[in-house]
Amino acid sequence: MYLEPMRKRRAPSDDTSVAARLAVLAAAAVILFAVLLFRLWFLQILSGDWYSTQADDQRLRTVSISAPRGVVYDRDGEPLVVNRAGLSVGILPMDLRSPEMVIPRLAEVLGMPEDEIWQKLEKGKSDPYRVTVIQADVPENPVVSYLKEHSLEFPGVRIEKSYLRSYPRQAFATHILGYVGEVSYDDLEKEQFRTLGPGAMVGKDGVEAVYDSKLRGVDGTRTVEVDAAGRPRRMIQEIQPQPGSNLVLTLDNELQDVAELAVVEGIERAHQEGFTDAAAGAIVALDPRTGEILAMASYPDYDLTSWVGGMKTDTYRDLTSPEGNKPFFDRAIKGLYPAASVFKPFVAAAALRNDVVDWTTVFNDPGSFKIGAQRWKCWKDDGHGDVNLVEALMVSCDTYFYNIGSMFYDMEGPIFQDGLEEFGFGRASGIDLLGEAAGRVPDKDWKRETGKSEEERLWKPGDDVNLSIGQGDLLVTPLQLAVASAALANGGDVLVPRIVRQITDGSGNVIKEFETEMRGRVELHPEELESIRRGLRLVTSDPNGTGYGAFRGFPIAVAGKTGTAERPPDDDYAWFMGYAPASAPEILVVAIIEKGGHGSSVAAPVVRRVLDQYFHTESAGPTQVEVTE
Amino acid sequence: MSVLQRGTDRPSAGFSVGRYLSNIDWILLVATLSLVAFGMAMIYSATHADRNISSPTQYVNDQALGLAAGLFALVVVSLVDFSWFVGLKRYLYWGNVALLGLTLVVGAERMGARRWIATPLFDVQTSELSKLLVVLALAALLAEGVELRGRLRFLLKSVAYVALPAFLVFVQPDLGTALVFVAVLGVMLLVWGIRWTHAALLGGGALLATTLVVRVLPQTFGLELLKPYQIQRLTVFLNPSQDTSGAAYQLSQSKIAVASGMFSGKGYMDGTQTNLNFLPAHHTDFIFSVIGEEFGFLGSAILLLLFLVVLWRAFRIASASKTLHGTLIASGVIAILLFQVFVNVGMTLGIMPITGIPLPFVSFGSSSLVVFLTAIGLLQSVHVHSRTALYGGRLRGDQHGPMAA
Repeated sequence: MYLEPMRKRRAPSDDTSVAARLAVLAAAAVILFAVLLFRLWFLQILSGDWYSTQADDQRLRTVSISAPRGVVYDRDGEPLVVNRAGLSVGILPMDLRSPEMVIPRLAEVLGMPEDEIWQKLEKGKSDPYRVTVIQADVPENPVVSYLKEHSLEFPGVRIEKSYLRSYPRQAFATHILGYVGEVSYDDLEKEQFRTLGPGAMVGKDGVEAVYDSKLRGVDGTRTVEVDAAGRPRRMIQEIQPQPGSNLVLTLDNELQDVAELAVVEGIERAHQEGFTDAAAGAIVALDPRTGEILAMASYPDYDLTSWVGGMKTDTYRDLTSPEGNKPFFDRAIKGLYPAASVFKPFVAAAALRNDVVDWTTVFNDPGSFKIGAQRWKCWKDDGHGDVNLVEALMVSCDTYFYNIGSMFYDMEGPIFQDGLEEFGFGRASGIDLLGEAAGRVPDKDWKRETGKSEEERLWKPGDDVNLSIGQGDLLVTPLQLAVASAALANGGDVLVPRIVRQITDGSGNVIKEFETEMRGRVELHPEELESIRRGLRLVTSDPNGTGYGAFRGFPIAVAGKTGTAERPPDDDYAWFMGYAPASAPEILVVAIIEKGGHGSSVAAPVVRRVLDQYFHTESAGPTQVEVTE
Repeated sequence: MSVLQRGTDRPSAGFSVGRYLSNIDWILLVATLSLVAFGMAMIYSATHADRNISSPTQYVNDQALGLAAGLFALVVVSLVDFSWFVGLKRYLYWGNVALLGLTLVVGAERMGARRWIATPLFDVQTSELSKLLVVLALAALLAEGVELRGRLRFLLKSVAYVALPAFLVFVQPDLGTALVFVAVLGVMLLVWGIRWTHAALLGGGALLATTLVVRVLPQTFGLELLKPYQIQRLTVFLNPSQDTSGAAYQLSQSKIAVASGMFSGKGYMDGTQTNLNFLPAHHTDFIFSVIGEEFGFLGSAILLLLFLVVLWRAFRIASASKTLHGTLIASGVIAILLFQVFVNVGMTLGIMPITGIPLPFVSFGSSSLVVFLTAIGLLQSVHVHSRTALYGGRLRGDQHGPMAA
């Protein structure tokens, strides 16, 4: 060994060197495997739950199965709103690939503007796992069959079964029934719609809206496993939908039919009498004992079917055009009018209760009423002479009530207004419908707060005088008048009017029964009440009564009151309120024909027509009625 | 040790089945076959529900053919004394280059790459075979040049020696396999005894070359040796959210598959990511994701353990080899295995780039399976014949260890 020169620097590796190098390599291998194992531990043990959710999210699709909405019946079980099966086209955002290719084609197939689809998609994209409905009522042929045949060209486009509203009688009780539509994005924030998603159908108006939570039911769900291409592979879970509850309305479909017809006839009658601007009207018929609405209509109305599947733009434009006369507007509960002479019984009641007059008090009507230099005319130019309260109601003597108004003016405080408000004027009646107007009973405070000039902020004798004949700043709805009149008919009970009688389940069992509800009571001395009623009774039965002509020959005793409201520059508005049988009232009807002229000749026959139907008297009313008021 | 002590071990005594069988590394063989079996079970799970196959076992059948061919090659190669390959070096090397060149010319183009040579019976992915040929040729070259360890010129020659086939694979394009060659070169040089200064030089050179290819050439000279999609696939795992191609989708689906397996997995054939086709290439490059999903952490760890056993035996064989040549061959096989296992599994876990490298023994693919079984045959050959090298060694000056004294 010593003989051999050692070249240490460049010596070939000996065995220990190879072993060391292999050891370095082995150490590297161990480290690499440790890295893999650490990463596995991190992913599978530490983050496993999160990734499992990811895996489930992309493989499970939950589609909702719509619950059939409750059916709406009239009081006799006649269906007014039912369901029909339909198909809707929607988009599941997460499956929508290359939307810029698919959307234009889909727009073409569905025959709708491309922008509209983009808009809906934009709104629905917050929840990519939920189908956004693009068109709700799509015909099977050719649209749905085309989409099914070419489903591969429409990734993400879904066809779903849905229930659509159907209206067997089309334009019938339009404003009462209301309609359904897609829930708005603002509404989704509200508590009552918390469980719903975009595209859900909810009631938008009428009983559909008020009883939405009962009618709606609970949608079911079907959870399906899909593959990466979105094809369903197997069913995971199915929860059946719970159908919504049914509504039984207080409406009588036959009476409703006639009531709607009667308003149209009233308008025609107005045209015959030369009031050619007449184009709208409303009617309310209720049971004065219970407050149940038996019929209620507002004209013009429209076919609710136009909402199904989304209202077409031009249909909507037609309906909202000035010539359309606001068909969406429910005049019966939202229309605000001066009450005119129909208001006189309540003025009388307020006067009697506050001992302003008693029923024997007599005023002389020379044809007008004066305070200082100011003068108010009676509708009858030559006056009614000496009249007491009963006669004043019968002939609708304005002067008599001017006197009352003037006497109220001399009293301290809003006694007059309080007496009127007891009947429910100036506040919503509380009917189970949306958007009811409160109306207005003007008083000192109101004038002071709302008057535009110093002059207008002042409460003057003329204000009380005008109020005494239901004019001036007074505004009432037809329904308010009906409820107030019912208090006179039933002895003083101010009732909450109702449109729904019962809520029933699918088998017809009653889930909830609505009972008569009282909001207040007007305490009238029986003698005083009787005097008012007698006045109203004479309106139709005494040859001098303003409603005598319209009710001539009617076999059942009717109490009523005419009204002719002035609303310059319009033609006068024709009012009539009537109830029957006068001694034990079962039905009370209020009708108004806007710009229809005289209450006696235009509105009174409308009421008679409805009473005819109610009592099945079929007494052909007079074709021409002499104009009184 | 004297001849007299173990007279029966003399090679001159001729081939004996009994001695061959007792010299085989059985642990290595069993671990290898376990991996293949594991792989076939997973291939079945991943493909039995495919719609475009003739029978549920179509892929498994194909893989079984590969297994049969591979076992045959394994046995044949293990019977051959690995030292013969020294003499065959030239043919192995140029044969390899010719094969890769041929592939570029007549290769069947699939998905934009020419990697397969179609034969009437089966298609050969030449780059798979090329890995082994490079290991054999390089082992011979380095073993012969053991005296030249200090010479930079020889080192550069070795680098160029591997660079040619690596380039031919790279232009197929098959970046992944080209990188395997780089790993093989690095590991074998390390084991061979490269000087640390030279190693640092090579490492620096590699970094510089990468910088040139990825950034400087495309940006400054507009020369794109790597296509943008290749760069994207390589770098997407660093920033999955910035991806616009499908690479991030593959990556995230693979991670979801593995991680949602949690500790014990969703159960055999119950992997939703796999069966619902969210996981792409689930029987080939992403087979590990299937294991992760269906057998969870437990199954993944067992699979890695099997690979560790194989590597442990390979290291044992490498260090027990009486010749540097044997050690180098074993190291080359180790390099391929280690690189491919780490890159493939790392890819499915989102810590390595997507390079399209299969998981040895497990991924579907006959070429890969045959080549890896052949590689195990090589290890067996080194194992069996190292013991006899004392007596029948033909190499000049490449013996090492105390026995060489």
